[in-house]
Amino acid sequence: MAENKIIKSKFFFEEEEIEQLAEVSERKYRPWPNNDKLKVVGKGITRLDGYDKVSGSATYAFDVILPRMTFAKTLRCPHPHARIKSIDTSKAEKIKGVLGIITYLNAPKIKWYGNSFLFDPHLRYEGDEVACVAAVSEAIAEQALKAIKVEYELLPFVVDARKALKKDAPKLHKEGNVVRGKPSKYNRGDLQNGLKEADVVIEQTFNTQVEIHNPTEPHGSVVNWNGDHLTIWDSTQGVFRVRSQVAAALGLPESNVRVIKKYMGGGFGSKLEAGKYTVMAALLAKTIGRPVRIALDRREMNLAVGNRPDSFQTLKGAVTKDGRLTALYLKSIGSAGAYPAGTGCAWPLRSMYDCPNVSVEEYGVYINAGRARAFRAPGHVQGFFALEQLIDMLAEKVNMDPLEFRLQNYAHEEPNWHIPYTSKLLKQAYLVGAKSIGWEQRNKVAGSQSGPIKTGIGMSSQIWWGGGGPPAYANLKLNRDGSVQIIAGSQDLGTGTYTILAQVASEVLDIPVEKIEVILGDTDTAPYCGSSGGSTTAASVTPAVRDAAEQMMDKLYSAAMAQFDLPKNKIKYAKGKFSTVEPKPRVLTIGQLARKMGERVLETVGRREANPKGYAINSFGAQFAEVAVDTNTGKIKVQKIVAAYDIGRVLNRLTIDNQIHGGIIQGLGFALFEDRILDRNTGKMLNANFHDYKVPTIKDTPEIEIHIVSETDNRLSNTGVKGVGEPAMIPTPAAVANAVYNAIGKRITSLPLTPDKILMALQS
Amino acid sequence: MKPFVYHQPKSIEEASVLSAKNWEEAVLFAGGTDVLGLLKDGIEEPKEVINLKGLEGLDQIDFTKGKELRIGALVKIAQIAEHPAIKQSFPALAQAAAQTASPQLRNMGTIGGNICQRPRCWYFRGDFHCLRKGGDECFAVEGENKYHCVIGGGPCYIVHPSDLTVVLQALGAKVTIVWKGGQKTVPTSQFFVLPEEDLYRENILKPGEIVTHIHIPVPDSKMKSGYLKFKERDVWDFAVVSVAASVRIANGRIESGRIVFGGVAPKPWEEETLNRELKGLPLKDADLQKLKALALKEAEPLEQNAYKIPLARNLMLSLLKELMPIIPN
Repeated sequence: MAENKIIKSKFFFEEEEIEQLAEVSERKYRPWPNNDKLKVVGKGITRLDGYDKVSGSATYAFDVILPRMTFAKTLRCPHPHARIKSIDTSKAEKIKGVLGIITYLNAPKIKWYGNSFLFDPHLRYEGDEVACVAAVSEAIAEQALKAIKVEYELLPFVVDARKALKKDAPKLHKEGNVVRGKPSKYNRGDLQNGLKEADVVIEQTFNTQVEIHNPTEPHGSVVNWNGDHLTIWDSTQGVFRVRSQVAAALGLPESNVRVIKKYMGGGFGSKLEAGKYTVMAALLAKTIGRPVRIALDRREMNLAVGNRPDSFQTLKGAVTKDGRLTALYLKSIGSAGAYPAGTGCAWPLRSMYDCPNVSVEEYGVYINAGRARAFRAPGHVQGFFALEQLIDMLAEKVNMDPLEFRLQNYAHEEPNWHIPYTSKLLKQAYLVGAKSIGWEQRNKVAGSQSGPIKTGIGMSSQIWWGGGGPPAYANLKLNRDGSVQIIAGSQDLGTGTYTILAQVASEVLDIPVEKIEVILGDTDTAPYCGSSGGSTTAASVTPAVRDAAEQMMDKLYSAAMAQFDLPKNKIKYAKGKFSTVEPKPRVLTIGQLARKMGERVLETVGRREANPKGYAINSFGAQFAEVAVDTNTGKIKVQKIVAAYDIGRVLNRLTIDNQIHGGIIQGLGFALFEDRILDRNTGKMLNANFHDYKVPTIKDTPEIEIHIVSETDNRLSNTGVKGVGEPAMIPTPAAVANAVYNAIGKRITSLPLTPDKILMALQS
Repeated sequence: MKPFVYHQPKSIEEASVLSAKNWEEAVLFAGGTDVLGLLKDGIEEPKEVINLKGLEGLDQIDFTKGKELRIGALVKIAQIAEHPAIKQSFPALAQAAAQTASPQLRNMGTIGGNICQRPRCWYFRGDFHCLRKGGDECFAVEGENKYHCVIGGGPCYIVHPSDLTVVLQALGAKVTIVWKGGQKTVPTSQFFVLPEEDLYRENILKPGEIVTHIHIPVPDSKMKSGYLKFKERDVWDFAVVSVAASVRIANGRIESGRIVFGGVAPKPWEEETLNRELKGLPLKDADLQKLKALALKEAEPLEQNAYKIPLARNLMLSLLKELMPIIPN
């Protein structure tokens, strides 16, 4: 039987089900026992890249310095909607140190976003690219931007999705303002029957704001040509994706483009695609014959490289007296921004509960603002904010405990496809979380506390995919000294991928993690892995690493058998050494074996196995929030968050806790502070900086308690891992909103939950 | 940032001469925490920057018991927050200093710069040719005005962003201003101006005039002062609304007092009627409630900032309750 096989692989990546051919491993390994029986996997070892990062020796794309390197800056449209009448770059070109300027007039016409171009004279938002300048310093490039004269024809604009849907709204594209021309719909069962069957029907609108990714590390690239070969150091979540997009844009064979990414200061989804800036830099570098560095500033980060789209959701929930959900309905409108992007938020409503009748209608809408991109659990954070408040409202109407209500409507099989889950321990997560927060101590009547500070407890569930799948490959090499290299085309966003991959190989090879070097993010040297998104990296790549390491063990056993001239059962292996007592005690380290073999033979290719057929793969969890609301000021103090998760096997207890902390803090930012403010009268962003766009600080961070209720998901893969990166953020805003209701007895249906809204609600 | 000529004068006189040009020509630079932002964002594009750090004698805190506290304009905000005598005798001032910005900014920012900082209005700070920058429109009136003023505005609707000014005014502080050939000392209440008086500046300084010292009278033992700052984020945020109070308590009554609000007006906002009402007010909850109705009575909120009125009134009450033993009804 062949050990590898090519199959059609399907799995969820962010909100999309992707399908591609993949070579998968057919080797079956004994499932690992629970983590307490393992040596390395699951242990909270510190990050292998920790020293580099805290000492400042880690090099990011921005830190790459090449001989004769130059610096590029981008001129962006200051208007929400305009057409370029004329551009005059002559004055800018004369500035000493300016080397090259590209605009739509002299740059190749490269398709971008499907319905626009790299440089499009029709500018559709404040921040759209007008020109790019390369100069000997960033300061000179910036001066040159100011010297470029652009005459704009100002066009009518619209920055509110609901207004953009009106007949007389200004149009951004020929097709009209609805992305793809029509809403996306989903139906199961019969909504009207479900509504009729119910004793209680609640209709409620919710809306969520635009959130900017704002990763610590700005977007940027360093590009260098060597003849017709292009090397790109990029801050990206997907080196192979950048390679194919840039190669296509420049008309190069992919083999001529190399993309490298070593360290990264976060992406949160905003770095899942190639940036215009990379291609602009490559064009300039080619023209001027020198390397170019282009790095976005914080303002550009806020305007032009993605956001979580807003949502205007109308939900209907129908329930019988005894708390059985009979129907759920959602109509949503979301701002794609100026170019096509996903804005849906229906998956929570479709997937979370056992509800037979569901109907969804969703509109993605063009507005004159920066384009949306996937953002940590796209659709889900927005969707759960609405759904989980509606669930609490329904539970209250039928006099049920919100937790009991959720258990009553628990989905025992996947409600969209009626298939079993590979694993689902949500009930355990509910119970552990409820116990830990002191669920019984919440206000039985919302808002019933006296005194100016009112406390409350609330919860939210979450579901996500995160099972990953093939293709994902990893090469493993054993060197002459017994050290090991793992080479994979994945990327560590700062989440700890370097460390967990080493732990997996260490577990199999029984050698310390310090002997294992992990090399990621280089399209020229590493085999393919998918982009790091969708919480799929650990779930996709760790099984491939285990496969490579297990094959290496087989090879080493064969080598030891040949060297000792003994059958396998006469040889023992532990801690990097083979030993035998027959005919006399002998020991061989794997390094010694490697030297005897000639190291090049000791290389294996690991492949992610296929996902099990006929199963839904989801991670589950719940968060419980305890808040204190100051009714004098309207300020919400989140005092504690308890997070309980079913995410399969924990690979590293420290990095998983870090991931969950980060997700919760980002969720609190979305719940309490963060909001892109566009001026309604001019269409310009007012808070494109870290002073006015408020991300939470450590002072705003509550006590966080984390429980992992799962041991492993052996049905899923040989490591049993499901993703956690996105699940960590999904339930936070909804849990906080439900806790606020429990505290003050007023339901705040729009995010962020700022003091002015609370104060005005309390006054009413 | 546009290129500029950088001066490092050795005396106040020299600094005054160098800066005695149009505001567009020259800018004074103390801690730089505000000026650098203005320059980098292109809000001010002066041809000359005059660094005051080389001036001697402006970085001292002098405390004369029973008389006055004198703070040099170059004293860092962090020093004020940590100064033992200030903490003891002027708790409101120490509290306001400790809640200003972030530790890094407090270590750089000076008290002189803090009271002279420019507004944080996002139209003023952004790419908008607004009234205050010589344009002909205040974008906030019909725009996004959640953080703008509810009183004292028009035709521009900024709020004064400083924490310290609110307390200084409540404590009856004075500001010494020096220029070549002269100097004067004015109460803070006369130092700041409303947009209707001067649309382009937030205080009475003219080019060439430099703030050198702040003087605060030392209170007697019956005076109590405090500062409450409300910010959306727990740290590193300007006040949405703040309130400072200094009250003299005797015989179960407020003998006299001053209440000053921040974040509600283009300057530290003090209301005569409110201060008058304080005189002789018994320390009873019901009497305090009366004050609440009186504060900011003339406020005219814009579309998105009506919440500031109850917020300011509630904060005022919370502060007074912190300062005094209140008898519940």
